[in-house]
Amino acid sequence: MVEKKEYKLNRLETTKLIGPMVDKHWAELREAKEHGEKVAWCSGPLFIFPYAMGMKCHFMAGYAAYCAGRKAGDQVLEAAEADGELMDTCSYHRLHTGMAAAILRGRPVRKEVILPIPDLLITGRLCTEMAHYAEALYRRLKIPVVAVDIPPPRRKEDLPRLERFVVRQIKESLIPALEKVCGKEFDEEEMRRILRVLKKATTLRNQCWEFFKLKPTPWTLWDYGVSIAPVFYMMGKPETVPYYEKLLAELKERAAKKIPAILPDGEKYRLYWDAWLPWAFLGMFIRKFVSYGAVPICGRYPWEFFPHPEYIDPDADDIVKNWVELYYTKGHQAMVMMTEGALEQIMELVEEYSIDGLVMFASKTCRAWVGQREIVNEIERRLGVPGVIIEADMVDSRMVSEAQIETRLQALFETIDARRRR
Amino acid sequence: MIRGLEPFLKAVENPYKTVSEWKERTGKKVIGCYPMWLPKELVHAAGLLPVVVWRSDEPVTIGHAYVHTFNCGLTRSFVDDAVRGKLDFIDGFIIYRTCLQAQELPFILEQHVRPAYLEYLYLPAIFPGAATKDFLIEELERFKASLEEFTGKEITDGELRRSIELYNENRRMLRRFYEFRRKNLGVLRAREVMAVVWSSMLVPKEEHNTWLRELLLELEERQEELLKEPRVKGDLKVVLTGALCQTPQFEILDMIEDLGMVVVDDDLYVGSKYFANDVELDGNKRPLEALAEHYLKREPTCPTKGDWEMDWTDEIAGMVKRGGADGVISLLIKFCPPHLCYYPDIKRGLMEAGVPEVMIEVEHEIVSLEGVRTRLQSFAESLRRGA
Amino acid sequence: MGAAVAGVDIGSIFTKVVIIDAESYDIISFSIMRSGASHENASRSATKDALRAAGMSLEDLAYVVSTGYGRSRVPFADRQITEITCHARAAKFLFPDAHTIIDIGGQDSKVIRIDAAGRVTNFVMNDRCAAGTGRFLEVMAEALEVDLGKMTELSLRATKNIEVSSVCAVFAESEVISLIASGHEKADIAAAIFRAIARRITGMVGQLGVQERVVMTGGVAKNEGVVRALEERLNVKITVPEEPQIAGALGAALLAAESLK
Repeated sequence: MVEKKEYKLNRLETTKLIGPMVDKHWAELREAKEHGEKVAWCSGPLFIFPYAMGMKCHFMAGYAAYCAGRKAGDQVLEAAEADGELMDTCSYHRLHTGMAAAILRGRPVRKEVILPIPDLLITGRLCTEMAHYAEALYRRLKIPVVAVDIPPPRRKEDLPRLERFVVRQIKESLIPALEKVCGKEFDEEEMRRILRVLKKATTLRNQCWEFFKLKPTPWTLWDYGVSIAPVFYMMGKPETVPYYEKLLAELKERAAKKIPAILPDGEKYRLYWDAWLPWAFLGMFIRKFVSYGAVPICGRYPWEFFPHPEYIDPDADDIVKNWVELYYTKGHQAMVMMTEGALEQIMELVEEYSIDGLVMFASKTCRAWVGQREIVNEIERRLGVPGVIIEADMVDSRMVSEAQIETRLQALFETIDARRRR
Repeated sequence: MIRGLEPFLKAVENPYKTVSEWKERTGKKVIGCYPMWLPKELVHAAGLLPVVVWRSDEPVTIGHAYVHTFNCGLTRSFVDDAVRGKLDFIDGFIIYRTCLQAQELPFILEQHVRPAYLEYLYLPAIFPGAATKDFLIEELERFKASLEEFTGKEITDGELRRSIELYNENRRMLRRFYEFRRKNLGVLRAREVMAVVWSSMLVPKEEHNTWLRELLLELEERQEELLKEPRVKGDLKVVLTGALCQTPQFEILDMIEDLGMVVVDDDLYVGSKYFANDVELDGNKRPLEALAEHYLKREPTCPTKGDWEMDWTDEIAGMVKRGGADGVISLLIKFCPPHLCYYPDIKRGLMEAGVPEVMIEVEHEIVSLEGVRTRLQSFAESLRRGA
Repeated sequence: MGAAVAGVDIGSIFTKVVIIDAESYDIISFSIMRSGASHENASRSATKDALRAAGMSLEDLAYVVSTGYGRSRVPFADRQITEITCHARAAKFLFPDAHTIIDIGGQDSKVIRIDAAGRVTNFVMNDRCAAGTGRFLEVMAEALEVDLGKMTELSLRATKNIEVSSVCAVFAESEVISLIASGHEKADIAAAIFRAIARRITGMVGQLGVQERVVMTGGVAKNEGVVRALEERLNVKITVPEEPQIAGALGAALLAAESLK
């Protein structure tokens, strides 16, 4: 029997600034065509290249988070199904084909989540679905596509040659395509400028991460989750650095005053959260966690965003290579998409942040986060930390059963309690 | 009874038994190749016995502790077989990034099967550009080196050429076999045709070629007689599409025929996709380069290859026209995103082209054959009323 | 009166029999009975019932067509035809301008497209789970402790928009129970249930596209709440025949008459 103490979530102040920042970003994208700007839609981590060319660019997972935040996810998904999409396909895929259906067939969808039809579709095939989404949109909207294969590495010895392959594709396919669409040469200086800002922001962000090590923690993974945009798809924007400065200041203050994220006196369970964040259900999940005194602290997905700012070298001779190195030989970011790399990363996180249990978030339409069951088995075996699989979805409410989630979470906490008693 | 069909039918009765028997008979090591496009000619040239991984004969049980229930039937049953020790007689495995689900497999194999040989290939999506072709060739060279390390023997260009020619011969004869079916409807049952293709993935090519030669000879000699008494009687002609990577249940094929529909053609993987193109060895081209070019071919379309300009619908419609078919049956493997993501466009495209189509979801553990029957029967009824 | 023919529709919950005049196509009699465990017995009982009402015996039937889930278990049927073809035939007969048919039965739901000549051009079936079917509604009504017939009335008093999962009846049932436990109004829950069914069906309609006139058949069509929720979602008027539940059997009877010719 899990005792239910009265826990309360103590939200950060700084994160309130994110909403308007993100809204502004997507508004700029929506209005881009009216201002005569070129627009790209991008899946995978390649948007820095269109940004460097002064294009406005969307980002696949970011759009999903935004849609969910605007509570328009279900509506767009229905537009997709009304257009014939099968429910078993990736919910991010359906969000985009749903948006296309809304544009093509005038299906009713909230205006804020309709983006202009792009001049270019960019595929960064880190997850194979990212290619399918571009294929489907190409068939329906007939926009030019440029694609780069970004294979997740299985072993460290594979890193150098995969990196060479990705760099070549960017130089030989992506950049020429961008130059053609924009009618100008690739602006390396702008890319360097963006990287300078990103380096500053991620350095500050890493300092914020340190605070997750505190017991009790002054902030939650959800606080960080909503703060990802400034160090990812909003990279280069001037407001991203002050945001993290404020965040760091608030965390320092909380730490000094011993103010925890979970009142009255901190968390009972510190959790690892695997895979995407449940964008449309952040509130529901955090309420459930907090009711048990549990707090999500870290995950392989949110830790994918430039965990090593020391490798960002805005003055590197080959700036494209420097960027790709972050994913391969230096930063290893792409390795978490294979079980081998994920296991290594997760074991580190579990140790570093004193994690009590794993919540492996699984959407039945998503198989990108490979190895979830094996990871639970292995971490249990090697570190004695228990884990549970929660099947839901990031945006599709029809796939979410609160009762099932409650049961599984409770089981996890009971397991942790039992181990503590031993 | 068509005598020539016997060895094929026997071979697919129990793939585990078939493969272990050929392992013993040839003394070669068996390498399980994950579908669909990795160049098995290289494995053959290394003196090994390449087989294509198949869907098991039992519902998945223990496997679900290692892989999600919402993975496709092939991945789940493969993992189930692996952790239950049913694949211990296979000496090695080669996996590549055919889809997300394949990416999970090397780790599971390493943990629970520990095969003598395990290779994970980075075969790229066939995006245009020199970078892709160069990387592919580099990867094939590395693959070749890893095979050579395993066997302790070099693979000469001559040996690779011979293996390619052997595989090409197999493909040519399978094409003739499919042409025979198209021109002599009702002589061959759909499950027999699938057995002929599937067995090519399980037994040595040398042997399969011999069986094919004999079968084609018999079919030619007995053509008139066989046409007079067709074993499949139906008033409707259909084309089958879909079923990437794995075989659909034979019961479904039987059901289609029982309801009066004769299969005239298909673009299934265990079907025409398997033998569609020869590896072109002309002039001074290095055989490895020929293999790369074969992999990069954009036809027949395959949604796992990343080619956004491919027109699968057009290909299917073409097959319908060529065969004079009345309609299309889409065999949709449950939880196969490459097909699922394309499917709405196929349905829409066929509808617009006036080609009747029905979708049958194929699962590893069939929940309701009755439901499949109702769908197929309704489809047949609508085709007849439209005639 | 000309020859008489019958259509026997064996569904998961109900068996329906319709006897018509093979020339005029007038309905002579019909019967609706619970199917129970034995399809063969159900087909006999329901047919006997319809025959009695018509003052006829089995020998008076010139042709019998069976349809529905248990169609292969009607020993006295001359032919068996699927419910897709039968519902399409009935809808076309009742409404010559019908183009889209939504049939929600006991344990499955289907959307059927027919052309101007009444031929089935396309269809989508959901027969793998109870979500959005008559069974789903029954389970929900039980969970709400409300009479199935009173659910529409209840839903009209809804004031709040809440969500109920439409993917799985088991999920939805536990959701409804926890919604009641957390104090939500039954009226709001009833309305949410209808919306959930409508969502499920919309997905199926989407795969085929809507073309008017849209006709709804099957037992669930008697439930106004579902019809209204669907009309709202699809933004189209839905026509429900007087006896939607016997549409399958009627279609089978019409096909029986055609088979005679």
